[in-house]
Amino acid sequence: MSILQAQGLSKKFGGLDAVSELSFAVEAKEIFAIIGPNGAGKTTTLNMISGLIKPSAGKLKLNGQEISIKDSAERCHLGLGRAFQVVQPFPEMTVEENVLVGALFGKSGVSEATGRKLAQEVLKQTGLLALKDTPAEELTLLQEKRLEIARALATQPKVLLLDEVMAGLRPGEARQAVELVKNIRNKGVTIVFIEHVMPVVRDLADRVMVMDYGKKLAEGSYQQVTNNPQVIEAYLGAEE
Amino acid sequence: MRRISYDLLFVLLAAALLFFLPATLKALYGKASVSYLSLLINATGLAILALSWDILARTGQLSLAHAAFYGAGAYTTAILLKLADWPLWLGIPLGGIVAVLLALLLGSVTLRLRGIYFAIATLAFAEVLKAVVQQLPTRIAGGAAGINVAALFRPAFIPGEMERWEVAFLRNQSYFLVYVGILLLSILVSILVQRSRLKPAFTAIRTNEEVAAVMGVKPARYKLLAFALSSFLVGLLGASEAHRIGSVLPDETFGIGTTVFALVTPIFGGLYTTLGPILGAAGLASVEELLRRTFEEGYLIGYGIVLVASILFMPKGIVGLIDSLKRRRRKLPRSAEEAV
Repeated sequence: MSILQAQGLSKKFGGLDAVSELSFAVEAKEIFAIIGPNGAGKTTTLNMISGLIKPSAGKLKLNGQEISIKDSAERCHLGLGRAFQVVQPFPEMTVEENVLVGALFGKSGVSEATGRKLAQEVLKQTGLLALKDTPAEELTLLQEKRLEIARALATQPKVLLLDEVMAGLRPGEARQAVELVKNIRNKGVTIVFIEHVMPVVRDLADRVMVMDYGKKLAEGSYQQVTNNPQVIEAYLGAEE
Repeated sequence: MRRISYDLLFVLLAAALLFFLPATLKALYGKASVSYLSLLINATGLAILALSWDILARTGQLSLAHAAFYGAGAYTTAILLKLADWPLWLGIPLGGIVAVLLALLLGSVTLRLRGIYFAIATLAFAEVLKAVVQQLPTRIAGGAAGINVAALFRPAFIPGEMERWEVAFLRNQSYFLVYVGILLLSILVSILVQRSRLKPAFTAIRTNEEVAAVMGVKPARYKLLAFALSSFLVGLLGASEAHRIGSVLPDETFGIGTTVFALVTPIFGGLYTTLGPILGAAGLASVEELLRRTFEEGYLIGYGIVLVASILFMPKGIVGLIDSLKRRRRKLPRSAEEAV
Protein backbone atom coordinates (compact mmCIF):
# COMPACT_ATOMS: atom_id res chain seq x y z
CA MET A 1 0.00 0.00 0.00
CA SER A 2 1.18 3.53 -0.74
CA ILE A 3 2.34 5.39 2.34
CA LEU A 4 1.49 8.84 0.99
CA GLN A 5 -1.33 9.48 -1.44
CA ALA A 6 -2.57 12.69 -3.01
CA GLN A 7 -5.83 12.70 -4.96
CA GLY A 8 -6.92 15.69 -7.01
CA LEU A 9 -4.89 18.07 -4.91
CA SER A 10 -5.51 21.68 -5.99
CA LYS A 11 -4.60 25.11 -4.75
CA LYS A 12 -5.79 28.40 -6.14
CA PHE A 13 -4.13 31.66 -5.16
CA GLY A 14 -6.66 34.21 -6.35
CA GLY A 15 -7.06 33.47 -10.05
CA LEU A 16 -3.86 31.45 -10.26
CA ASP A 17 -3.94 27.67 -10.23
CA ALA A 18 -0.72 27.03 -8.33
CA VAL A 19 -1.50 23.32 -8.21
CA SER A 20 -4.37 21.69 -10.03
CA GLU A 21 -5.76 18.19 -9.89
CA LEU A 22 -2.50 16.66 -8.76
CA SER A 23 -2.58 12.96 -7.93
CA PHE A 24 0.34 10.77 -7.00
CA ALA A 25 1.26 7.96 -4.65
CA VAL A 26 4.53 7.33 -2.85
CA GLU A 27 5.44 3.80 -1.84
CA ALA A 28 6.93 2.97 1.55
CA LYS A 29 10.73 3.35 1.78
CA GLU A 30 10.84 4.93 -1.65
CA ILE A 31 12.85 8.03 -2.54
CA PHE A 32 10.45 10.11 -4.57
CA ALA A 33 11.64 13.26 -6.33
CA ILE A 34 9.48 16.17 -7.42
CA ILE A 35 11.13 18.28 -10.08
CA GLY A 36 9.99 21.03 -12.39
CA PRO A 37 10.70 24.60 -13.46
CA ASN A 38 10.39 27.48 -11.00
CA GLY A 39 6.79 28.22 -10.18
CA ALA A 40 5.63 24.72 -11.09
CA GLY A 41 3.92 24.35 -7.69
CA LYS A 42 6.40 22.00 -6.02
CA THR A 43 6.76 23.86 -2.72
CA THR A 44 3.03 24.59 -2.68
CA THR A 45 2.49 20.84 -2.92
CA LEU A 46 4.81 20.17 0.03
CA ASN A 47 3.12 22.96 1.99
CA MET A 48 -0.25 21.32 1.44
CA ILE A 49 1.13 17.95 2.51
CA SER A 50 2.58 19.34 5.74
CA GLY A 51 -0.54 21.36 6.49
CA LEU A 52 0.91 24.83 6.17
CA ILE A 53 -1.60 25.80 3.51
CA LYS A 54 -5.07 24.45 2.99
CA PRO A 55 -5.79 22.81 -0.37
CA SER A 56 -8.66 24.31 -2.37
CA ALA A 57 -9.65 20.75 -3.23
CA GLY A 58 -8.36 17.20 -3.02
CA LYS A 59 -7.48 14.58 -0.49
CA LEU A 60 -4.31 13.49 1.26
CA LYS A 61 -3.72 10.14 2.88
CA LEU A 62 -0.84 9.13 5.09
CA ASN A 63 -0.59 5.41 5.74
CA GLY A 64 -4.16 5.05 4.53
CA GLN A 65 -5.42 7.66 6.98
CA GLU A 66 -7.08 10.83 5.74
CA ILE A 67 -4.97 13.79 6.92
CA SER A 68 -6.49 16.66 4.92
CA ILE A 69 -8.41 17.96 7.91
CA LYS A 70 -5.57 17.62 10.43
CA ASP A 71 -3.31 20.49 11.45
CA SER A 72 0.47 20.52 11.00
CA ALA A 73 1.25 19.27 14.50
CA GLU A 74 -1.15 16.33 14.17
CA ARG A 75 0.34 15.38 10.80
CA CYS A 76 3.76 15.48 12.42
CA HIS A 77 2.55 13.15 15.19
CA LEU A 78 1.25 10.77 12.51
CA GLY A 79 4.69 10.56 10.94
CA LEU A 80 5.21 13.45 8.55
CA GLY A 81 8.55 15.25 8.85
CA ARG A 82 9.55 18.35 6.93
CA ALA A 83 12.77 20.21 6.18
CA PHE A 84 12.40 23.65 4.67
CA GLN A 85 13.94 25.11 1.53
CA VAL A 86 14.82 28.34 3.26
CA VAL A 87 16.50 27.06 6.40
CA GLN A 88 14.58 28.25 9.42
CA PRO A 89 16.40 27.21 12.57
CA PHE A 90 15.33 28.69 15.89
CA PRO A 91 18.28 31.11 16.03
CA GLU A 92 18.24 31.74 19.80
CA MET A 93 18.53 28.03 20.55
CA THR A 94 21.60 25.86 20.35
CA VAL A 95 21.83 23.08 17.78
CA GLU A 96 20.86 20.54 20.42
CA GLU A 97 17.87 22.57 21.61
CA ASN A 98 16.66 22.90 18.03
CA VAL A 99 16.75 19.14 17.59
CA LEU A 100 15.21 18.63 21.01
CA VAL A 101 12.07 20.49 19.94
CA GLY A 102 11.49 17.85 17.27
CA ALA A 103 12.45 15.01 19.60
CA LEU A 104 10.16 16.12 22.43
CA PHE A 105 7.13 17.21 20.44
CA GLY A 106 7.34 15.25 17.19
CA LYS A 107 5.45 12.35 18.77
CA SER A 108 3.03 12.68 21.62
CA GLY A 109 4.06 11.39 25.03
CA VAL A 110 7.84 11.50 24.63
CA SER A 111 9.45 11.91 28.06
CA GLU A 112 12.25 14.40 28.56
CA ALA A 113 14.83 11.65 29.04
CA THR A 114 13.74 9.78 25.90
CA GLY A 115 13.69 13.02 23.96
CA ARG A 116 17.25 13.88 24.98
CA LYS A 117 18.49 10.43 24.03
CA LEU A 118 16.75 10.63 20.68
CA ALA A 119 18.22 14.09 20.05
CA GLN A 120 21.70 12.70 20.73
CA GLU A 121 21.20 9.88 18.23
CA VAL A 122 19.96 12.24 15.55
CA LEU A 123 22.85 14.64 16.17
CA LYS A 124 25.25 11.74 15.74
CA GLN A 125 23.53 10.50 12.59
CA THR A 126 23.63 13.94 10.98
CA GLY A 127 27.19 14.72 12.03
CA LEU A 128 26.21 17.60 14.29
CA LEU A 129 27.24 16.15 17.65
CA ALA A 130 30.37 18.30 17.91
CA LEU A 131 28.29 21.41 17.29
CA LYS A 132 25.50 20.64 19.72
CA ASP A 133 26.16 23.62 22.01
CA THR A 134 26.64 26.10 19.16
CA PRO A 135 23.89 28.70 18.81
CA ALA A 136 22.01 27.95 15.60
CA GLU A 137 22.58 31.48 14.33
CA GLU A 138 26.33 30.82 14.12
CA LEU A 139 26.13 27.83 11.74
CA THR A 140 27.39 27.73 8.15
CA LEU A 141 24.90 27.01 5.38
CA LEU A 142 25.87 23.32 5.16
CA GLN A 143 25.51 22.98 8.92
CA GLU A 144 22.15 24.75 8.80
CA LYS A 145 20.95 22.34 6.13
CA ARG A 146 22.07 19.44 8.29
CA LEU A 147 20.25 20.96 11.24
CA GLU A 148 17.14 21.37 9.12
CA ILE A 149 17.23 17.64 8.32
CA ALA A 150 18.16 16.72 11.90
CA ARG A 151 15.19 18.56 13.35
CA ALA A 152 12.85 16.83 10.93
CA LEU A 153 14.43 13.43 11.69
CA ALA A 154 14.06 13.99 15.41
CA THR A 155 10.29 13.96 14.97
CA GLN A 156 10.69 10.26 13.98
CA PRO A 157 8.98 10.61 10.61
CA LYS A 158 7.73 7.76 8.47
CA VAL A 159 7.72 10.15 5.52
CA LEU A 160 10.31 12.91 5.30
CA LEU A 161 9.66 15.89 3.04
CA LEU A 162 12.84 17.64 1.90
CA ASP A 163 12.55 20.92 0.05
CA GLU A 164 15.70 21.67 -1.96
CA VAL A 165 18.08 20.77 0.81
CA MET A 166 20.98 20.70 -1.68
CA ALA A 167 20.44 24.24 -2.96
CA GLY A 168 23.47 26.45 -2.38
CA LEU A 169 25.76 23.56 -1.44
CA ARG A 170 29.12 22.98 -3.13
CA PRO A 171 29.42 19.66 -5.06
CA GLY A 172 31.43 18.02 -2.27
CA GLU A 173 28.88 19.10 0.31
CA ALA A 174 26.01 17.92 -1.86
CA ARG A 175 27.62 14.46 -2.05
CA GLN A 176 27.73 14.33 1.74
CA ALA A 177 24.10 15.34 1.87
CA VAL A 178 23.18 12.65 -0.68
CA GLU A 179 24.87 10.03 1.54
CA LEU A 180 22.95 11.35 4.54
CA VAL A 181 19.64 11.06 2.71
CA LYS A 182 20.48 7.50 1.56
CA ASN A 183 21.30 6.54 5.14
CA ILE A 184 18.00 7.93 6.33
CA ARG A 185 16.12 5.87 3.74
CA ASN A 186 18.09 2.77 4.72
CA LYS A 187 16.66 3.19 8.21
CA GLY A 188 13.19 2.77 6.73
CA VAL A 189 12.09 6.35 6.17
CA THR A 190 10.23 7.23 2.98
CA ILE A 191 11.60 10.37 1.34
CA VAL A 192 9.84 12.91 -0.84
CA PHE A 193 12.16 15.62 -2.08
CA ILE A 194 12.15 18.64 -4.31
CA GLU A 195 15.40 19.25 -6.16
CA HIS A 196 16.83 21.38 -8.92
CA VAL A 197 20.29 19.83 -8.98
CA MET A 198 19.78 17.07 -11.55
CA PRO A 199 22.80 14.88 -10.64
CA VAL A 200 21.38 14.70 -7.13
CA VAL A 201 18.02 13.59 -8.50
CA ARG A 202 19.77 10.97 -10.64
CA ASP A 203 21.76 9.63 -7.69
CA LEU A 204 18.93 9.58 -5.21
CA ALA A 205 15.53 9.16 -6.75
CA ASP A 206 13.80 5.81 -7.25
CA ARG A 207 11.01 7.62 -9.02
CA VAL A 208 10.62 11.15 -10.34
CA MET A 209 7.50 13.24 -10.80
CA VAL A 210 7.81 16.26 -13.10
CA MET A 211 5.51 19.22 -12.49
CA ASP A 212 4.82 22.18 -14.73
CA TYR A 213 2.20 24.92 -14.26
CA GLY A 214 0.77 23.12 -11.26
CA LYS A 215 0.13 19.88 -13.14
CA LYS A 216 1.84 16.54 -13.36
CA LEU A 217 3.79 16.42 -16.60
CA ALA A 218 5.42 13.03 -16.29
CA GLU A 219 6.28 10.35 -13.78
CA GLY A 220 8.74 7.46 -13.87
CA SER A 221 12.40 6.60 -13.47
CA TYR A 222 15.04 9.29 -13.92
CA GLN A 223 15.85 7.88 -17.40
CA GLN A 224 12.23 7.83 -18.44
CA VAL A 225 11.40 11.37 -17.42
CA THR A 226 14.60 12.94 -18.72
CA ASN A 227 14.00 11.37 -22.13
CA ASN A 228 10.37 12.47 -22.21
CA PRO A 229 9.95 15.10 -24.98
CA GLN A 230 7.34 17.03 -22.98
CA VAL A 231 9.73 17.32 -20.05
CA ILE A 232 12.55 18.49 -22.29
CA GLU A 233 10.21 21.07 -23.76
CA ALA A 234 9.14 22.33 -20.34
CA TYR A 235 12.76 22.78 -19.29
CA LEU A 236 14.35 23.98 -22.52
CA GLY A 237 11.43 25.40 -24.47
CA ALA A 238 9.92 23.95 -27.67
CA GLU A 239 12.15 23.35 -30.65
CA GLU A 240 11.25 25.52 -33.59
CA MET B 1 15.59 18.24 36.96
CA ARG B 2 18.66 18.71 39.14
CA ARG B 3 18.65 22.34 38.12
CA ILE B 4 15.08 22.67 39.33
CA SER B 5 15.93 21.62 42.89
CA TYR B 6 18.84 24.06 42.80
CA ASP B 7 16.43 26.80 41.76
CA LEU B 8 13.97 25.83 44.47
CA LEU B 9 16.66 26.06 47.11
CA PHE B 10 17.46 29.55 45.90
CA VAL B 11 13.78 30.55 46.00
CA LEU B 12 13.35 29.18 49.53
CA LEU B 13 16.39 31.13 50.67
CA ALA B 14 15.07 34.31 49.08
CA ALA B 15 11.68 33.65 50.69
CA ALA B 16 13.24 33.32 54.14
CA LEU B 17 15.21 36.53 53.67
CA LEU B 18 12.17 38.46 52.45
CA PHE B 19 10.10 37.09 55.33
CA PHE B 20 12.42 38.63 57.90
CA LEU B 21 13.06 41.79 55.91
CA PRO B 22 10.33 43.98 57.49
CA ALA B 23 11.44 43.22 61.05
CA THR B 24 15.05 43.87 60.08
CA LEU B 25 14.14 47.19 58.50
CA LYS B 26 12.17 48.15 61.59
CA ALA B 27 15.08 47.35 63.86
CA LEU B 28 17.50 49.30 61.67
CA TYR B 29 15.48 52.35 60.62
CA GLY B 30 12.55 52.63 63.05
CA LYS B 31 9.84 54.90 61.74
CA ALA B 32 11.45 55.26 58.31
CA SER B 33 10.90 51.54 57.72
CA VAL B 34 7.23 52.30 56.96
CA SER B 35 8.11 54.18 53.78
CA TYR B 36 10.83 51.69 52.89
CA LEU B 37 8.20 48.98 53.09
CA SER B 38 5.90 51.00 50.82
CA LEU B 39 8.68 51.18 48.29
CA LEU B 40 9.28 47.44 48.62
CA ILE B 41 5.59 46.71 48.13
CA ASN B 42 5.61 48.80 44.95
CA ALA B 43 8.70 47.02 43.68
CA THR B 44 7.23 43.59 44.49
CA GLY B 45 3.95 44.46 42.76
CA LEU B 46 5.88 45.68 39.73
CA ALA B 47 7.91 42.46 39.70
CA ILE B 48 4.72 40.34 39.69
CA LEU B 49 3.25 42.48 36.92
CA ALA B 50 6.42 42.22 34.84
CA LEU B 51 7.09 38.53 35.40
CA SER B 52 3.52 37.53 34.60
CA TRP B 53 3.61 39.58 31.38
CA ASP B 54 6.95 38.04 30.46
CA ILE B 55 5.59 34.48 30.80
CA LEU B 56 3.01 35.29 28.12
CA ALA B 57 5.58 37.11 25.98
CA ARG B 58 7.73 33.95 25.88
CA THR B 59 5.24 32.52 23.39
CA GLY B 60 5.62 35.62 21.21
CA GLN B 61 2.31 37.10 22.36
CA LEU B 62 3.19 40.72 23.14
CA SER B 63 -0.01 41.58 24.91
CA LEU B 64 -1.40 45.02 25.62
CA ALA B 65 -4.21 43.55 27.69
CA HIS B 66 -2.38 43.12 30.95
CA ALA B 67 -4.35 45.94 32.58
CA ALA B 68 -7.53 44.04 31.69
CA PHE B 69 -6.52 40.98 33.71
CA TYR B 70 -5.20 43.12 36.54
CA GLY B 71 -8.50 45.02 36.53
CA ALA B 72 -10.52 41.82 36.28
CA GLY B 73 -8.86 40.53 39.45
CA ALA B 74 -9.41 43.83 41.25
CA TYR B 75 -13.05 44.14 40.23
CA THR B 76 -13.81 40.51 41.05
CA THR B 77 -12.95 40.93 44.70
CA ALA B 78 -14.56 44.40 44.83
CA ILE B 79 -17.86 43.21 43.34
CA LEU B 80 -17.95 40.05 45.46
CA LEU B 81 -17.62 42.00 48.68
CA LYS B 82 -20.09 44.63 47.53
CA LEU B 83 -22.78 42.10 46.63
CA ALA B 84 -22.50 39.69 49.52
CA ASP B 85 -20.77 38.99 52.76
CA TRP B 86 -18.05 36.79 51.30
CA PRO B 87 -14.94 35.91 53.25
CA LEU B 88 -12.48 38.77 52.76
CA TRP B 89 -9.74 36.60 51.26
CA LEU B 90 -11.83 34.66 48.80
CA GLY B 91 -11.74 37.46 46.23
CA ILE B 92 -8.03 37.05 45.61
CA PRO B 93 -7.99 33.50 44.21
CA LEU B 94 -11.32 34.16 42.51
CA GLY B 95 -9.82 37.29 40.97
CA GLY B 96 -7.10 35.11 39.50
CA ILE B 97 -9.65 32.64 38.14
CA VAL B 98 -11.85 35.32 36.53
CA ALA B 99 -8.73 36.78 34.92
CA VAL B 100 -7.91 33.31 33.52
CA LEU B 101 -11.40 32.91 32.05
CA LEU B 102 -11.17 36.28 30.32
CA ALA B 103 -7.65 35.49 29.12
CA LEU B 104 -8.77 32.19 27.59
CA LEU B 105 -11.56 34.04 25.82
CA LEU B 106 -9.17 36.65 24.44
CA GLY B 107 -6.44 34.10 23.75
CA SER B 108 -8.66 31.83 21.71
CA VAL B 109 -9.83 34.60 19.38
CA THR B 110 -6.33 36.06 18.91
CA LEU B 111 -4.63 32.71 18.18
CA ARG B 112 -4.12 33.52 14.52
CA LEU B 113 -3.05 37.13 15.01
CA ARG B 114 0.61 38.08 14.97
CA GLY B 115 2.70 41.07 15.95
CA ILE B 116 1.03 44.42 15.70
CA TYR B 117 -2.41 42.92 14.93
CA PHE B 118 -2.26 40.84 18.07
CA ALA B 119 -1.15 43.87 20.08
CA ILE B 120 -4.01 46.02 18.76
CA ALA B 121 -6.59 43.30 19.41
CA THR B 122 -5.43 42.90 23.01
CA LEU B 123 -5.44 46.67 23.54
CA ALA B 124 -8.97 46.86 22.18
CA PHE B 125 -10.01 44.03 24.52
CA ALA B 126 -8.70 45.97 27.52
CA GLU B 127 -10.52 49.13 26.48
CA VAL B 128 -13.75 47.26 25.83
CA LEU B 129 -13.56 45.56 29.22
CA LYS B 130 -13.09 48.95 30.88
CA ALA B 131 -16.11 50.33 29.01
CA VAL B 132 -18.20 47.30 29.97
CA VAL B 133 -17.34 47.73 33.65
CA GLN B 134 -18.25 51.43 33.43
CA GLN B 135 -21.59 50.58 31.85
CA LEU B 136 -22.56 47.82 34.29
CA PRO B 137 -25.36 48.79 36.69
CA THR B 138 -23.97 51.05 39.41
CA ARG B 139 -25.27 48.81 42.18
CA ILE B 140 -23.04 46.04 40.87
CA ALA B 141 -19.84 47.66 39.62
CA GLY B 142 -20.13 51.19 40.93
CA GLY B 143 -20.01 52.87 37.52
CA ALA B 144 -17.46 55.64 36.97
CA ALA B 145 -17.25 56.28 40.72
CA GLY B 146 -15.92 52.80 41.38
CA ILE B 147 -16.26 50.70 44.53
CA ASN B 148 -14.62 50.94 47.89
CA VAL B 149 -12.81 47.76 48.89
CA ALA B 150 -12.25 46.70 52.50
CA ALA B 151 -8.66 46.48 53.72
CA LEU B 152 -7.27 42.99 54.32
CA PHE B 153 -5.46 44.08 57.45
CA ARG B 154 -6.63 46.51 60.10
CA PRO B 155 -4.02 46.43 62.86
CA ALA B 156 -5.34 48.06 66.01
CA PHE B 157 -3.51 50.82 67.81
CA ILE B 158 -2.78 49.86 71.40
CA PRO B 159 -1.91 53.02 73.36
CA GLY B 160 1.02 52.63 75.70
CA GLU B 161 2.32 49.48 74.01
CA MET B 162 3.16 50.84 70.58
CA GLU B 163 3.75 54.07 68.76
CA ARG B 164 1.40 55.53 66.16
CA TRP B 165 3.62 54.69 63.18
CA GLU B 166 3.78 51.05 64.18
CA VAL B 167 0.19 50.60 63.03
CA ALA B 168 1.24 51.64 59.52
CA PHE B 169 4.26 49.39 59.82
CA LEU B 170 2.15 46.35 60.73
CA ARG B 171 -0.21 47.08 57.88
CA ASN B 172 2.61 47.44 55.38
CA GLN B 173 4.35 44.37 56.72
CA SER B 174 1.25 42.25 56.20
CA TYR B 175 0.69 43.50 52.65
CA PHE B 176 4.35 43.06 51.87
CA LEU B 177 4.16 39.40 52.90
CA VAL B 178 1.07 38.86 50.72
CA TYR B 179 2.89 40.40 47.76
CA VAL B 180 5.99 38.35 48.47
CA GLY B 181 3.78 35.25 48.47
CA ILE B 182 2.36 36.10 45.04
CA LEU B 183 5.83 36.97 43.75
CA LEU B 184 7.20 33.62 44.95
CA LEU B 185 4.34 31.84 43.24
CA SER B 186 5.12 33.78 40.05
CA ILE B 187 8.80 32.87 40.31
CA LEU B 188 7.94 29.20 40.79
CA VAL B 189 5.66 29.25 37.73
CA SER B 190 8.35 31.00 35.73
CA ILE B 191 11.03 28.53 36.78
CA LEU B 192 8.77 25.62 35.95
CA VAL B 193 8.27 27.07 32.48
CA GLN B 194 11.99 27.69 32.02
CA ARG B 195 13.16 24.31 33.25
CA SER B 196 10.58 22.06 31.64
CA ARG B 197 9.57 21.13 28.10
CA LEU B 198 7.48 24.28 28.08
CA LYS B 199 10.57 26.34 27.40
CA PRO B 200 11.46 24.75 24.04
CA ALA B 201 7.76 24.83 23.11
CA PHE B 202 7.32 28.49 24.05
CA THR B 203 10.58 29.55 22.40
CA ALA B 204 9.86 27.61 19.21
CA ILE B 205 6.41 29.18 18.92
CA ARG B 206 7.83 32.64 19.57
CA THR B 207 10.56 32.22 16.96
CA ASN B 208 8.57 30.60 14.18
CA GLU B 209 5.10 29.30 14.78
CA GLU B 210 4.74 27.45 11.44
CA VAL B 211 8.01 25.60 11.85
CA ALA B 212 7.12 24.78 15.46
CA ALA B 213 3.80 23.29 14.30
CA VAL B 214 5.46 21.24 11.57
CA MET B 215 7.76 19.86 14.28
CA GLY B 216 4.76 18.71 16.29
CA VAL B 217 4.37 21.57 18.77
CA LYS B 218 0.72 22.53 19.15
CA PRO B 219 0.82 26.33 19.16
CA ALA B 220 -2.77 26.85 20.32
CA ARG B 221 -2.31 24.69 23.40
CA TYR B 222 0.84 26.45 24.60
CA LYS B 223 -0.31 29.95 23.71
CA LEU B 224 -3.47 29.46 25.77
CA LEU B 225 -1.53 27.90 28.63
CA ALA B 226 0.76 30.93 28.70
CA PHE B 227 -2.28 33.20 28.70
CA ALA B 228 -3.79 31.30 31.63
CA LEU B 229 -0.62 31.29 33.76
CA SER B 230 0.11 34.93 33.06
CA SER B 231 -3.39 36.21 33.73
CA PHE B 232 -3.83 34.15 36.90
CA LEU B 233 -0.79 35.75 38.50
CA VAL B 234 -1.68 39.30 37.49
CA GLY B 235 -5.29 38.66 38.56
CA LEU B 236 -4.06 37.78 42.06
CA LEU B 237 -2.03 40.98 42.06
CA GLY B 238 -4.96 43.11 40.91
CA ALA B 239 -7.22 41.71 43.63
CA SER B 240 -4.61 42.28 46.35
CA GLU B 241 -3.98 45.82 45.13
CA ALA B 242 -7.70 46.57 45.28
CA HIS B 243 -7.66 45.75 49.01
CA ARG B 244 -4.45 47.66 49.67
CA ILE B 245 -5.46 50.79 47.74
CA GLY B 246 -8.98 50.58 49.16
CA SER B 247 -10.95 51.20 45.98
CA VAL B 248 -11.35 50.28 42.33
CA LEU B 249 -12.06 52.86 39.62
CA PRO B 250 -12.48 52.01 35.92
CA ASP B 251 -10.00 54.61 34.69
CA GLU B 252 -7.42 53.79 37.33
CA THR B 253 -7.81 50.06 37.66
CA PHE B 254 -7.96 49.42 33.91
CA GLY B 255 -5.51 52.24 33.18
CA ILE B 256 -3.09 51.72 30.31
CA GLY B 257 -0.26 52.57 32.73
CA THR B 258 -0.45 49.05 34.18
CA THR B 259 0.09 47.55 30.74
CA VAL B 260 2.93 49.95 29.97
CA PHE B 261 4.76 49.05 33.19
CA ALA B 262 4.08 45.36 32.59
CA LEU B 263 6.00 45.44 29.32
CA VAL B 264 8.58 48.16 29.99
CA THR B 265 9.90 46.44 33.12
CA PRO B 266 10.87 43.10 31.48
CA ILE B 267 12.37 44.97 28.54
CA PHE B 268 14.45 47.01 31.00
CA GLY B 269 15.45 43.94 33.01
CA GLY B 270 15.76 41.34 30.25
CA LEU B 271 12.98 39.60 28.33
CA TYR B 272 12.13 35.88 28.48
CA THR B 273 13.94 35.21 31.76
CA THR B 274 12.89 34.82 35.38
CA LEU B 275 15.51 37.16 36.72
CA GLY B 276 15.07 39.94 34.14
CA PRO B 277 11.60 41.17 35.13
CA ILE B 278 12.57 41.02 38.83
CA LEU B 279 15.79 42.97 38.33
CA GLY B 280 13.88 45.34 36.08
CA ALA B 281 11.28 45.95 38.77
CA ALA B 282 13.90 46.51 41.45
CA GLY B 283 15.80 48.84 39.14
CA LEU B 284 12.84 50.86 37.92
CA ALA B 285 11.27 51.18 41.37
CA SER B 286 14.59 52.46 42.77
CA VAL B 287 15.18 54.84 39.88
CA GLU B 288 11.69 56.24 40.23
CA GLU B 289 12.05 56.74 43.98
CA LEU B 290 15.46 58.32 43.59
CA LEU B 291 14.24 60.72 40.92
CA ARG B 292 11.15 61.57 42.92
CA ARG B 293 13.25 62.51 45.91
CA THR B 294 15.76 64.50 43.84
CA PHE B 295 13.36 66.45 41.65
CA GLU B 296 9.98 67.11 43.13
CA GLU B 297 8.52 68.39 39.89
CA GLY B 298 8.74 66.64 36.56
CA TYR B 299 10.68 63.62 37.78
CA LEU B 300 8.90 61.54 35.19
CA ILE B 301 10.95 63.28 32.49
CA GLY B 302 14.09 61.90 34.09
CA TYR B 303 12.40 58.50 34.30
CA GLY B 304 11.68 58.62 30.58
CA ILE B 305 15.28 59.54 29.81
CA VAL B 306 16.53 56.59 31.86
CA LEU B 307 14.22 54.22 29.96
CA VAL B 308 15.17 55.52 26.53
CA ALA B 309 18.87 55.39 27.40
CA SER B 310 18.57 51.84 28.73
CA ILE B 311 16.86 50.61 25.57
CA LEU B 312 19.50 52.32 23.42
CA PHE B 313 22.50 51.09 25.36
CA MET B 314 21.35 47.76 26.73
CA PRO B 315 18.83 46.39 24.25
CA LYS B 316 18.76 43.04 26.01
CA GLY B 317 18.17 44.61 29.41
CA ILE B 318 20.07 44.17 32.63
CA VAL B 319 20.29 40.40 32.19
CA GLY B 320 21.69 40.83 28.68
CA LEU B 321 24.28 43.28 30.01
CA ILE B 322 25.36 40.84 32.73
CA ASP B 323 25.58 38.03 30.15
CA SER B 324 27.74 40.01 27.77
CA LEU B 325 30.04 41.10 30.61
CA LYS B 326 30.42 37.46 31.67
CA ARG B 327 31.11 36.38 28.12
CA ARG B 328 33.66 39.13 27.65
CA ARG B 329 35.50 38.06 30.78
CA ARG B 330 35.51 34.45 29.63
CA LYS B 331 36.74 35.33 26.16
CA LEU B 332 39.47 37.77 27.16
CA PRO B 333 42.06 35.28 28.41
CA ARG B 334 41.62 33.16 25.29
CA SER B 335 42.24 36.06 22.92
CA ALA B 336 45.20 37.10 25.08
CA GLU B 337 46.64 33.62 24.54
CA GLU B 338 46.10 33.88 20.83
CA ALA B 339 47.90 37.21 20.81
CA VAL B 340 50.95 35.55 22.36
